[in-house]
Amino acid sequence: MSEQLLAVERLSVGYGKKTVVHEVDLGLAEREILIVLGHNGAGKTTLMQAIFGLIRTQSGRVLYRGEPITGRKPADNVLGGIAYVPQGHGIFRSLTVRANLELGAFVVRDRSRLEEDMETVFEMFPILRERATQIGGTLSGGQQQMLAIGMALMHKPSVMILDEPSIGLAPNLVERVMRSIQTINREFGTAILMVEQNVRYGLPIAQRAAVLKTGRKVYDGPPEPLEDRVELMKLF
Amino acid sequence: MDLFLQLLLNGFVNGSHYALLGVGFGLIFGTTNIVHFAYGPVYAAGAYSAWTAAALLGFPLFLAGLTGVAAATVLGVASYLLLYRPFVRRDAPTFVVLIASLGLFILLENLIAILFGTDKKVVDGYSAGIHFIGPTFYTDIHIYQIASLMILGLALAAFLRLTNYGKAIQAMTDNADMARVIGIDTNKVSILVFAIGSAISAVPAVLILLRDGALPNMGFIAVFVAFLAVVVGGVGSILGAVLGGFLLGMVENVGMWQIPTEWQSTIAFIVLFFVLLVRPQGLFKGT
Repeated sequence: MSEQLLAVERLSVGYGKKTVVHEVDLGLAEREILIVLGHNGAGKTTLMQAIFGLIRTQSGRVLYRGEPITGRKPADNVLGGIAYVPQGHGIFRSLTVRANLELGAFVVRDRSRLEEDMETVFEMFPILRERATQIGGTLSGGQQQMLAIGMALMHKPSVMILDEPSIGLAPNLVERVMRSIQTINREFGTAILMVEQNVRYGLPIAQRAAVLKTGRKVYDGPPEPLEDRVELMKLF
Repeated sequence: MDLFLQLLLNGFVNGSHYALLGVGFGLIFGTTNIVHFAYGPVYAAGAYSAWTAAALLGFPLFLAGLTGVAAATVLGVASYLLLYRPFVRRDAPTFVVLIASLGLFILLENLIAILFGTDKKVVDGYSAGIHFIGPTFYTDIHIYQIASLMILGLALAAFLRLTNYGKAIQAMTDNADMARVIGIDTNKVSILVFAIGSAISAVPAVLILLRDGALPNMGFIAVFVAFLAVVVGGVGSILGAVLGGFLLGMVENVGMWQIPTEWQSTIAFIVLFFVLLVRPQGLFKGT
Protein backbone atom coordinates (compact mmCIF):
# COMPACT_ATOMS: atom_id res chain seq x y z
CA MET A 1 0.00 0.00 0.00
CA SER A 2 3.00 2.28 0.46
CA GLU A 3 3.24 3.29 -3.20
CA GLN A 4 -0.35 4.57 -3.10
CA LEU A 5 -0.82 8.32 -3.44
CA LEU A 6 -3.80 8.31 -1.12
CA ALA A 7 -4.64 5.39 1.13
CA VAL A 8 -7.43 4.78 3.61
CA GLU A 9 -6.84 2.07 6.21
CA ARG A 10 -9.66 0.54 8.25
CA LEU A 11 -11.38 3.90 8.47
CA SER A 12 -14.54 4.21 10.58
CA VAL A 13 -16.56 7.40 10.60
CA GLY A 14 -19.82 8.35 12.24
CA TYR A 15 -21.92 10.93 13.93
CA GLY A 16 -22.07 10.76 17.72
CA LYS A 17 -22.21 7.09 18.69
CA LYS A 18 -23.62 6.01 15.33
CA THR A 19 -21.05 4.61 12.92
CA VAL A 20 -21.79 5.22 9.25
CA VAL A 21 -18.57 3.99 7.61
CA HIS A 22 -17.16 0.70 8.91
CA GLU A 23 -13.43 -0.08 8.62
CA VAL A 24 -13.11 0.79 4.96
CA ASP A 25 -9.81 0.26 3.11
CA LEU A 26 -9.26 2.23 -0.06
CA GLY A 27 -6.22 3.04 -2.16
CA LEU A 28 -5.70 5.55 -4.94
CA ALA A 29 -2.60 5.32 -7.13
CA GLU A 30 -0.97 8.23 -8.96
CA ARG A 31 -2.91 9.25 -12.06
CA GLU A 32 -5.70 6.81 -11.30
CA ILE A 33 -9.45 7.37 -11.56
CA LEU A 34 -11.30 5.51 -8.82
CA ILE A 35 -15.07 5.61 -8.71
CA VAL A 36 -16.96 4.85 -5.51
CA LEU A 37 -20.48 3.55 -5.99
CA GLY A 38 -23.23 2.74 -3.53
CA HIS A 39 -26.89 3.20 -2.71
CA ASN A 40 -28.21 6.32 -0.96
CA GLY A 41 -27.02 6.45 2.63
CA ALA A 42 -24.20 3.96 2.02
CA GLY A 43 -21.75 6.41 3.59
CA LYS A 44 -20.00 7.62 0.43
CA THR A 45 -20.18 11.34 1.22
CA THR A 46 -19.26 10.72 4.86
CA LEU A 47 -16.20 8.76 3.76
CA MET A 48 -15.07 11.53 1.39
CA GLN A 49 -15.60 14.24 4.01
CA ALA A 50 -13.60 12.25 6.54
CA ILE A 51 -10.71 11.72 4.12
CA PHE A 52 -10.57 15.46 3.44
CA GLY A 53 -10.78 16.38 7.13
CA LEU A 54 -14.21 17.99 7.07
CA ILE A 55 -15.54 15.61 9.72
CA ARG A 56 -13.84 13.63 12.45
CA THR A 57 -12.96 9.97 12.13
CA GLN A 58 -13.63 7.32 14.78
CA SER A 59 -10.77 4.97 14.01
CA GLY A 60 -8.37 3.98 11.24
CA ARG A 61 -6.17 6.32 9.28
CA VAL A 62 -5.68 8.24 6.06
CA LEU A 63 -2.27 8.33 4.36
CA TYR A 64 -1.18 10.77 1.67
CA ARG A 65 2.15 10.13 -0.02
CA GLY A 66 2.85 7.69 2.80
CA GLU A 67 2.33 10.29 5.54
CA PRO A 68 -0.60 10.02 7.96
CA ILE A 69 -3.02 12.92 7.44
CA THR A 70 -5.98 11.60 9.47
CA GLY A 71 -8.02 14.49 10.83
CA ARG A 72 -5.74 17.09 9.28
CA LYS A 73 -7.39 20.47 8.66
CA PRO A 74 -8.86 20.92 5.16
CA ALA A 75 -6.67 24.03 4.78
CA ASP A 76 -3.54 21.89 5.18
CA ASN A 77 -4.88 19.26 2.79
CA VAL A 78 -5.53 21.88 0.13
CA LEU A 79 -2.03 23.22 0.68
CA GLY A 80 -0.69 19.68 0.34
CA GLY A 81 -2.35 19.21 -3.05
CA ILE A 82 -5.74 17.65 -2.33
CA ALA A 83 -8.83 19.32 -3.81
CA TYR A 84 -12.41 18.65 -2.83
CA VAL A 85 -15.48 19.35 -4.93
CA PRO A 86 -18.52 18.98 -2.67
CA GLN A 87 -21.92 17.69 -3.71
CA GLY A 88 -24.37 20.15 -5.21
CA HIS A 89 -22.52 23.03 -6.86
CA GLY A 90 -19.83 23.97 -4.38
CA ILE A 91 -19.42 27.61 -5.34
CA PHE A 92 -19.81 31.04 -3.76
CA ARG A 93 -23.21 32.06 -5.05
CA SER A 94 -22.98 35.80 -4.33
CA LEU A 95 -19.59 36.31 -5.99
CA THR A 96 -18.62 36.56 -9.66
CA VAL A 97 -17.20 33.65 -11.63
CA ARG A 98 -13.80 35.35 -11.64
CA ALA A 99 -13.89 35.96 -7.87
CA ASN A 100 -14.82 32.30 -7.36
CA LEU A 101 -11.86 31.13 -9.41
CA GLU A 102 -9.53 33.51 -7.58
CA LEU A 103 -10.77 32.07 -4.28
CA GLY A 104 -10.08 28.59 -5.65
CA ALA A 105 -6.42 29.62 -5.66
CA PHE A 106 -6.68 31.05 -2.13
CA VAL A 107 -3.84 28.93 -0.75
CA VAL A 108 -1.54 29.67 -3.69
CA ARG A 109 0.86 32.30 -2.41
CA ASP A 110 2.42 33.01 -5.78
CA ARG A 111 -0.20 35.39 -7.23
CA SER A 112 1.72 35.90 -10.49
CA ARG A 113 0.51 32.50 -11.70
CA LEU A 114 -3.14 33.41 -11.17
CA GLU A 115 -3.94 34.64 -14.68
CA GLU A 116 -2.16 31.70 -16.30
CA ASP A 117 -4.03 29.17 -14.15
CA MET A 118 -7.32 30.90 -14.82
CA GLU A 119 -6.55 30.70 -18.54
CA THR A 120 -6.15 26.92 -18.17
CA VAL A 121 -9.58 26.70 -16.55
CA PHE A 122 -11.11 28.92 -19.25
CA GLU A 123 -9.65 26.69 -21.97
CA MET A 124 -11.27 23.67 -20.37
CA PHE A 125 -14.60 25.43 -19.78
CA PRO A 126 -14.92 28.27 -22.36
CA ILE A 127 -18.38 29.13 -21.02
CA LEU A 128 -16.76 30.35 -17.80
CA ARG A 129 -14.72 32.89 -19.75
CA GLU A 130 -17.91 34.27 -21.32
CA ARG A 131 -19.54 34.43 -17.89
CA ALA A 132 -16.47 35.69 -15.99
CA THR A 133 -18.21 38.77 -14.59
CA GLN A 134 -21.54 37.05 -13.89
CA ILE A 135 -22.64 36.27 -10.32
CA GLY A 136 -22.12 32.57 -9.55
CA GLY A 137 -25.63 31.95 -8.26
CA THR A 138 -27.15 33.03 -11.58
CA LEU A 139 -25.33 30.33 -13.60
CA SER A 140 -27.16 27.19 -14.72
CA GLY A 141 -26.63 23.97 -12.80
CA GLY A 142 -24.14 22.59 -15.31
CA GLN A 143 -22.16 25.82 -15.40
CA GLN A 144 -22.05 25.91 -11.60
CA GLN A 145 -20.61 22.38 -11.57
CA MET A 146 -18.00 23.40 -14.14
CA LEU A 147 -17.14 26.40 -11.98
CA ALA A 148 -16.83 24.18 -8.90
CA ILE A 149 -14.41 21.89 -10.75
CA GLY A 150 -12.60 24.92 -12.15
CA MET A 151 -12.11 26.27 -8.62
CA ALA A 152 -10.58 22.98 -7.52
CA LEU A 153 -8.22 23.10 -10.54
CA MET A 154 -6.99 26.56 -9.57
CA HIS A 155 -4.65 25.23 -6.92
CA LYS A 156 -3.20 22.51 -9.15
CA PRO A 157 -4.03 19.49 -7.02
CA SER A 158 -2.42 16.05 -7.20
CA VAL A 159 -5.67 14.47 -6.03
CA MET A 160 -9.17 15.67 -6.75
CA ILE A 161 -12.01 14.29 -4.65
CA LEU A 162 -15.41 14.78 -6.28
CA ASP A 163 -18.71 14.06 -4.55
CA GLU A 164 -21.36 13.21 -7.15
CA PRO A 165 -20.42 15.74 -9.83
CA SER A 166 -23.35 14.60 -11.97
CA ILE A 167 -26.09 15.25 -9.43
CA GLY A 168 -29.00 17.24 -10.80
CA LEU A 169 -27.54 17.52 -14.31
CA ALA A 170 -29.15 16.68 -17.64
CA PRO A 171 -27.60 13.60 -19.35
CA ASN A 172 -25.71 15.59 -22.01
CA LEU A 173 -24.16 17.72 -19.26
CA VAL A 174 -23.26 14.64 -17.24
CA GLU A 175 -21.30 13.37 -20.22
CA ARG A 176 -19.65 16.79 -20.62
CA VAL A 177 -18.61 16.91 -16.96
CA MET A 178 -17.28 13.33 -17.00
CA ARG A 179 -15.26 14.09 -20.12
CA SER A 180 -13.71 17.13 -18.44
CA ILE A 181 -12.79 15.04 -15.39
CA GLN A 182 -11.10 12.58 -17.72
CA THR A 183 -9.26 15.43 -19.43
CA ILE A 184 -8.03 16.79 -16.09
CA ASN A 185 -6.75 13.32 -15.25
CA ARG A 186 -4.95 12.90 -18.56
CA GLU A 187 -3.57 16.39 -19.06
CA PHE A 188 -2.49 17.25 -15.53
CA GLY A 189 -1.98 13.74 -14.16
CA THR A 190 -4.42 14.48 -11.36
CA ALA A 191 -5.59 11.36 -9.54
CA ILE A 192 -9.38 11.30 -9.21
CA LEU A 193 -11.41 9.88 -6.34
CA MET A 194 -15.03 10.23 -7.33
CA VAL A 195 -18.31 9.30 -5.73
CA GLU A 196 -20.89 8.77 -8.44
CA GLN A 197 -24.36 7.31 -8.73
CA ASN A 198 -24.48 7.66 -12.47
CA VAL A 199 -23.02 4.29 -13.45
CA ARG A 200 -23.66 4.75 -17.16
CA TYR A 201 -21.43 7.80 -17.54
CA GLY A 202 -19.20 7.33 -14.52
CA LEU A 203 -17.93 3.77 -15.02
CA PRO A 204 -16.49 4.21 -18.53
CA ILE A 205 -13.97 6.82 -17.38
CA ALA A 206 -12.92 4.91 -14.25
CA GLN A 207 -9.91 2.63 -14.06
CA ARG A 208 -11.10 1.00 -10.90
CA ALA A 209 -14.35 0.89 -8.93
CA ALA A 210 -15.29 0.35 -5.31
CA VAL A 211 -18.78 -0.32 -4.03
CA LEU A 212 -20.00 0.64 -0.56
CA LYS A 213 -23.00 -1.04 1.01
CA THR A 214 -24.33 0.20 4.35
CA GLY A 215 -20.93 1.62 5.21
CA ARG A 216 -18.81 -1.39 4.26
CA LYS A 217 -16.80 -2.01 1.12
CA VAL A 218 -18.28 -4.96 -0.81
CA TYR A 219 -16.36 -4.65 -4.08
CA ASP A 220 -13.01 -3.26 -5.16
CA GLY A 221 -11.65 -4.01 -8.59
CA PRO A 222 -11.98 -3.36 -12.32
CA PRO A 223 -15.09 -1.42 -13.35
CA GLU A 224 -16.04 -3.68 -16.26
CA PRO A 225 -17.88 -6.42 -14.29
CA LEU A 226 -20.13 -3.73 -12.83
CA GLU A 227 -21.33 -2.75 -16.26
CA ASP A 228 -23.43 -5.88 -16.10
CA ARG A 229 -26.62 -4.75 -14.43
CA VAL A 230 -27.27 -8.09 -12.77
CA GLU A 231 -23.83 -8.11 -11.18
CA LEU A 232 -24.34 -4.56 -9.99
CA MET A 233 -27.77 -5.24 -8.53
CA LYS A 234 -26.30 -8.08 -6.46
CA LEU A 235 -23.86 -5.68 -4.86
CA PHE A 236 -26.48 -3.04 -4.18
CA MET B 1 -39.27 74.21 10.13
CA ASP B 2 -36.27 74.95 12.36
CA LEU B 3 -37.19 71.97 14.47
CA PHE B 4 -37.42 69.80 11.37
CA LEU B 5 -33.93 70.79 10.23
CA GLN B 6 -32.52 70.10 13.69
CA LEU B 7 -34.22 66.70 13.76
CA LEU B 8 -32.85 65.93 10.31
CA LEU B 9 -29.35 66.74 11.50
CA ASN B 10 -29.80 64.70 14.70
CA GLY B 11 -31.11 61.83 12.60
CA PHE B 12 -28.03 61.92 10.41
CA VAL B 13 -25.70 61.99 13.41
CA ASN B 14 -27.52 59.21 15.27
CA GLY B 15 -27.79 57.33 12.02
CA SER B 16 -23.98 57.41 11.66
CA HIS B 17 -23.65 56.11 15.21
CA TYR B 18 -26.14 53.27 14.60
CA ALA B 19 -24.53 52.48 11.25
CA LEU B 20 -21.08 52.01 12.78
CA LEU B 21 -22.55 49.81 15.52
CA GLY B 22 -24.30 47.82 12.81
CA VAL B 23 -21.11 47.42 10.76
CA GLY B 24 -19.20 45.88 13.69
CA PHE B 25 -22.04 43.60 14.71
CA GLY B 26 -22.91 42.69 11.13
CA LEU B 27 -19.31 41.77 10.30
CA ILE B 28 -19.29 39.26 13.17
CA PHE B 29 -22.82 37.96 12.59
CA GLY B 30 -22.60 37.76 8.80
CA THR B 31 -19.28 35.93 8.79
CA THR B 32 -19.61 33.52 11.72
CA ASN B 33 -23.42 33.24 12.01
CA ILE B 34 -23.00 33.87 15.73
CA VAL B 35 -25.64 36.21 17.16
CA HIS B 36 -23.14 37.94 19.42
CA PHE B 37 -25.42 39.74 21.92
CA ALA B 38 -22.44 40.19 24.23
CA TYR B 39 -21.37 42.76 21.60
CA GLY B 40 -23.30 45.18 23.85
CA PRO B 41 -21.22 44.79 27.04
CA VAL B 42 -18.03 44.53 24.96
CA TYR B 43 -18.95 47.95 23.57
CA ALA B 44 -19.62 49.16 27.15
CA ALA B 45 -16.26 47.75 28.27
CA GLY B 46 -14.64 49.84 25.52
CA ALA B 47 -16.21 52.98 27.00
CA TYR B 48 -15.30 52.05 30.59
CA SER B 49 -11.70 51.21 29.66
CA ALA B 50 -11.37 54.57 27.93
CA TRP B 51 -12.86 56.26 31.02
CA THR B 52 -10.41 54.41 33.30
CA ALA B 53 -7.49 55.48 31.12
CA ALA B 54 -8.62 59.11 30.94
CA ALA B 55 -10.09 59.75 34.39
CA LEU B 56 -8.04 57.45 36.64
CA LEU B 57 -4.72 57.12 34.80
CA GLY B 58 -4.67 60.60 33.31
CA PHE B 59 -4.08 59.50 29.69
CA PRO B 60 -4.66 62.12 27.01
CA LEU B 61 -8.05 61.62 25.34
CA PHE B 62 -6.80 60.11 22.10
CA LEU B 63 -4.68 57.56 23.94
CA ALA B 64 -7.59 56.80 26.26
CA GLY B 65 -9.72 56.14 23.19
CA LEU B 66 -7.11 53.71 21.84
CA THR B 67 -7.09 51.95 25.22
CA GLY B 68 -10.84 51.50 24.87
CA VAL B 69 -10.40 50.04 21.38
CA ALA B 70 -7.68 47.66 22.58
CA ALA B 71 -9.74 46.49 25.57
CA ALA B 72 -12.84 45.82 23.44
CA THR B 73 -10.74 43.93 20.88
CA VAL B 74 -9.23 41.66 23.55
CA LEU B 75 -12.59 41.07 25.20
CA GLY B 76 -14.30 40.35 21.87
CA VAL B 77 -11.66 37.83 20.77
CA ALA B 78 -11.71 36.24 24.24
CA SER B 79 -15.47 35.79 24.10
CA TYR B 80 -15.09 33.95 20.79
CA LEU B 81 -12.19 31.75 21.89
CA LEU B 82 -13.47 30.92 25.38
CA LEU B 83 -17.22 30.81 24.88
CA TYR B 84 -18.36 30.48 21.25
CA ARG B 85 -15.60 28.37 19.77
CA PRO B 86 -16.25 25.24 21.87
CA PHE B 87 -19.87 25.35 20.65
CA VAL B 88 -18.90 25.97 17.04
CA ARG B 89 -16.46 23.03 17.12
CA ARG B 90 -19.26 20.75 18.28
CA ASP B 91 -21.61 22.02 15.57
CA ALA B 92 -24.02 23.32 18.21
CA PRO B 93 -27.26 24.78 16.84
CA THR B 94 -27.40 28.59 16.44
CA PHE B 95 -30.04 28.70 19.16
CA VAL B 96 -27.69 27.23 21.78
CA VAL B 97 -24.95 29.71 20.89
CA LEU B 98 -27.52 32.50 21.15
CA ILE B 99 -28.42 31.49 24.72
CA ALA B 100 -24.73 31.30 25.62
CA SER B 101 -24.32 34.78 24.20
CA LEU B 102 -27.18 36.13 26.34
CA GLY B 103 -25.52 34.54 29.38
CA LEU B 104 -22.25 36.28 28.57
CA PHE B 105 -24.18 39.53 28.09
CA ILE B 106 -25.60 39.36 31.63
CA LEU B 107 -22.28 38.27 33.12
CA LEU B 108 -20.28 41.10 31.55
CA GLU B 109 -22.87 43.78 32.20
CA ASN B 110 -23.01 42.89 35.90
CA LEU B 111 -19.24 42.63 36.08
CA ILE B 112 -19.00 46.19 34.81
CA ALA B 113 -21.57 47.34 37.40
CA ILE B 114 -19.63 45.58 40.21
CA LEU B 115 -16.28 47.00 39.12
CA PHE B 116 -17.37 50.56 38.37
CA GLY B 117 -20.65 51.06 40.23
CA THR B 118 -23.94 52.01 38.62
CA ASP B 119 -23.49 55.79 38.62
CA LYS B 120 -22.81 57.60 35.37
CA LYS B 121 -19.13 58.00 34.46
CA VAL B 122 -18.14 61.14 32.63
CA VAL B 123 -14.74 62.38 31.52
CA ASP B 124 -14.22 65.56 33.51
CA GLY B 125 -12.61 68.48 31.80
CA TYR B 126 -13.84 67.57 28.34
CA SER B 127 -16.49 69.70 26.77
CA ALA B 128 -17.28 69.50 23.10
CA GLY B 129 -17.35 72.68 21.07
CA ILE B 130 -20.80 73.73 19.84
CA HIS B 131 -21.32 75.10 16.35
CA PHE B 132 -24.30 76.63 14.58
CA ILE B 133 -25.43 76.51 10.98
CA GLY B 134 -28.40 78.87 10.74
CA PRO B 135 -30.97 77.78 13.29
CA THR B 136 -29.44 74.30 13.86
CA PHE B 137 -26.56 73.35 16.11
CA TYR B 138 -24.06 70.51 16.26
CA THR B 139 -21.08 69.61 18.45
CA ASP B 140 -17.55 68.32 17.85
CA ILE B 141 -18.70 64.87 18.95
CA HIS B 142 -21.34 64.87 16.23
CA ILE B 143 -18.61 65.56 13.69
CA TYR B 144 -16.51 62.72 15.09
CA GLN B 145 -19.48 60.36 14.92
CA ILE B 146 -20.04 61.07 11.25
CA ALA B 147 -16.31 61.11 10.40
CA SER B 148 -15.60 57.82 12.23
CA LEU B 149 -18.29 56.06 10.22
CA MET B 150 -16.89 57.39 6.96
CA ILE B 151 -13.26 56.56 7.76
CA LEU B 152 -13.86 53.14 9.31
CA GLY B 153 -16.52 52.20 6.76
CA LEU B 154 -14.28 53.00 3.81
CA ALA B 155 -11.26 51.36 5.44
CA LEU B 156 -13.24 48.18 6.05
CA ALA B 157 -14.62 48.15 2.52
CA ALA B 158 -11.08 48.51 1.13
CA PHE B 159 -9.81 45.78 3.46
CA LEU B 160 -12.56 43.37 2.36
CA ARG B 161 -11.94 44.00 -1.34
CA LEU B 162 -8.20 44.28 -1.53
CA THR B 163 -6.62 41.95 1.00
CA ASN B 164 -6.47 38.18 1.15
CA TYR B 165 -8.02 38.12 4.60
CA GLY B 166 -10.76 40.40 3.35
CA LYS B 167 -11.52 37.96 0.55
CA ALA B 168 -11.53 35.10 3.05
CA ILE B 169 -14.11 37.00 5.11
CA GLN B 170 -16.27 37.54 2.01
CA ALA B 171 -16.00 33.86 1.12
CA MET B 172 -16.93 32.72 4.63
CA THR B 173 -19.87 35.14 4.69
CA ASP B 174 -21.15 33.58 1.46
CA ASN B 175 -20.63 29.92 2.35
CA ALA B 176 -18.62 28.81 5.37
CA ASP B 177 -18.47 25.14 4.30
CA MET B 178 -17.09 26.06 0.88
CA ALA B 179 -14.60 28.43 2.53
CA ARG B 180 -13.16 25.44 4.44
CA VAL B 181 -13.12 23.35 1.28
CA ILE B 182 -10.91 25.83 -0.61
CA GLY B 183 -8.48 25.93 2.29
CA ILE B 184 -9.58 28.93 4.35
CA ASP B 185 -8.96 28.49 8.06
CA THR B 186 -12.41 29.54 9.26
CA ASN B 187 -11.26 29.59 12.88
CA LYS B 188 -8.62 32.23 12.09
CA VAL B 189 -11.13 34.25 10.09
CA SER B 190 -13.59 34.11 13.01
CA ILE B 191 -10.93 35.43 15.39
CA LEU B 192 -10.20 38.18 12.90
CA VAL B 193 -13.82 39.34 12.53
CA PHE B 194 -14.32 39.30 16.29
CA ALA B 195 -11.22 41.47 16.62
CA ILE B 196 -12.25 43.93 13.90
CA GLY B 197 -15.93 44.04 14.90
CA SER B 198 -15.13 44.61 18.58
CA ALA B 199 -12.50 47.25 17.76
CA ILE B 200 -15.03 49.08 15.59
CA SER B 201 -17.65 48.99 18.39
CA ALA B 202 -15.29 50.74 20.80
CA VAL B 203 -15.11 53.87 18.62
CA PRO B 204 -18.80 54.81 18.95
CA ALA B 205 -18.57 53.70 22.60
CA VAL B 206 -15.82 56.21 23.37
CA LEU B 207 -17.73 58.94 21.53
CA ILE B 208 -20.88 58.20 23.55
CA LEU B 209 -18.77 58.30 26.72
CA LEU B 210 -17.68 61.80 25.78
CA ARG B 211 -21.15 62.89 24.68
CA ASP B 212 -23.47 61.34 27.28
CA GLY B 213 -21.25 59.49 29.78
CA ALA B 214 -21.10 55.73 30.42
CA LEU B 215 -23.58 53.51 32.27
CA PRO B 216 -23.27 49.73 32.80
CA ASN B 217 -26.41 49.07 30.76
CA MET B 218 -25.33 51.25 27.82
CA GLY B 219 -24.54 48.08 25.84
CA PHE B 220 -28.15 46.96 25.68
CA ILE B 221 -29.42 49.73 23.43
CA ALA B 222 -26.21 49.54 21.39
CA VAL B 223 -26.46 45.84 20.48
CA PHE B 224 -30.19 46.21 20.04
CA VAL B 225 -29.83 49.00 17.50
CA ALA B 226 -26.92 47.20 15.81
CA PHE B 227 -29.03 44.07 15.46
CA LEU B 228 -31.95 46.02 14.00
CA ALA B 229 -29.66 47.85 11.55
CA VAL B 230 -28.21 44.55 10.34
CA VAL B 231 -31.55 42.77 10.00
CA VAL B 232 -33.16 45.75 8.25
CA GLY B 233 -30.16 46.18 5.94
CA GLY B 234 -29.65 42.48 5.25
CA VAL B 235 -27.31 40.06 7.02
CA GLY B 236 -23.92 39.74 5.34
CA SER B 237 -23.95 43.15 3.69
CA ILE B 238 -21.75 45.90 5.17
CA LEU B 239 -23.43 48.56 3.04
CA GLY B 240 -26.77 47.18 4.19
CA ALA B 241 -25.80 47.63 7.85
CA VAL B 242 -24.78 51.24 7.15
CA LEU B 243 -27.99 52.08 5.33
CA GLY B 244 -30.07 50.20 7.91
CA GLY B 245 -28.44 52.26 10.67
CA PHE B 246 -29.12 55.51 8.83
CA LEU B 247 -32.71 54.52 8.17
CA LEU B 248 -33.28 53.84 11.88
CA GLY B 249 -31.59 57.07 12.98
CA MET B 250 -33.52 59.16 10.48
CA VAL B 251 -36.94 57.66 11.09
CA GLU B 252 -36.47 57.77 14.85
CA ASN B 253 -35.54 61.47 14.88
CA VAL B 254 -37.57 62.89 12.03
CA GLY B 255 -40.53 60.98 13.44
CA MET B 256 -40.33 63.27 16.50
CA TRP B 257 -41.54 66.10 14.29
CA GLN B 258 -45.13 64.92 14.45
CA ILE B 259 -45.12 62.05 16.93
CA PRO B 260 -44.74 62.49 20.72
CA THR B 261 -41.22 61.69 22.03
CA GLU B 262 -42.28 58.69 24.13
CA TRP B 263 -42.90 56.76 20.91
CA GLN B 264 -39.29 57.13 19.76
CA SER B 265 -38.07 53.61 20.51
CA THR B 266 -41.31 52.11 19.19
CA ILE B 267 -40.63 53.65 15.79
CA ALA B 268 -37.55 51.44 15.30
CA PHE B 269 -39.75 48.38 15.71
CA ILE B 270 -42.34 49.66 13.29
CA VAL B 271 -39.58 50.16 10.71
CA LEU B 272 -38.32 46.63 11.33
CA PHE B 273 -41.84 45.23 11.05
CA PHE B 274 -42.60 46.87 7.71
CA VAL B 275 -39.20 46.14 6.19
CA LEU B 276 -39.40 42.46 7.08
CA LEU B 277 -42.97 42.31 5.84
CA VAL B 278 -41.94 43.56 2.41
CA ARG B 279 -38.37 42.21 2.21
CA PRO B 280 -37.73 39.41 4.73
CA GLN B 281 -34.11 39.10 3.55
CA GLY B 282 -33.42 42.76 4.42
CA LEU B 283 -33.27 45.80 2.17
CA PHE B 284 -29.81 45.38 0.66
CA LYS B 285 -29.08 41.68 0.79
CA GLY B 286 -26.50 40.59 -1.73
CA THR B 287 -25.07 43.98 -2.57
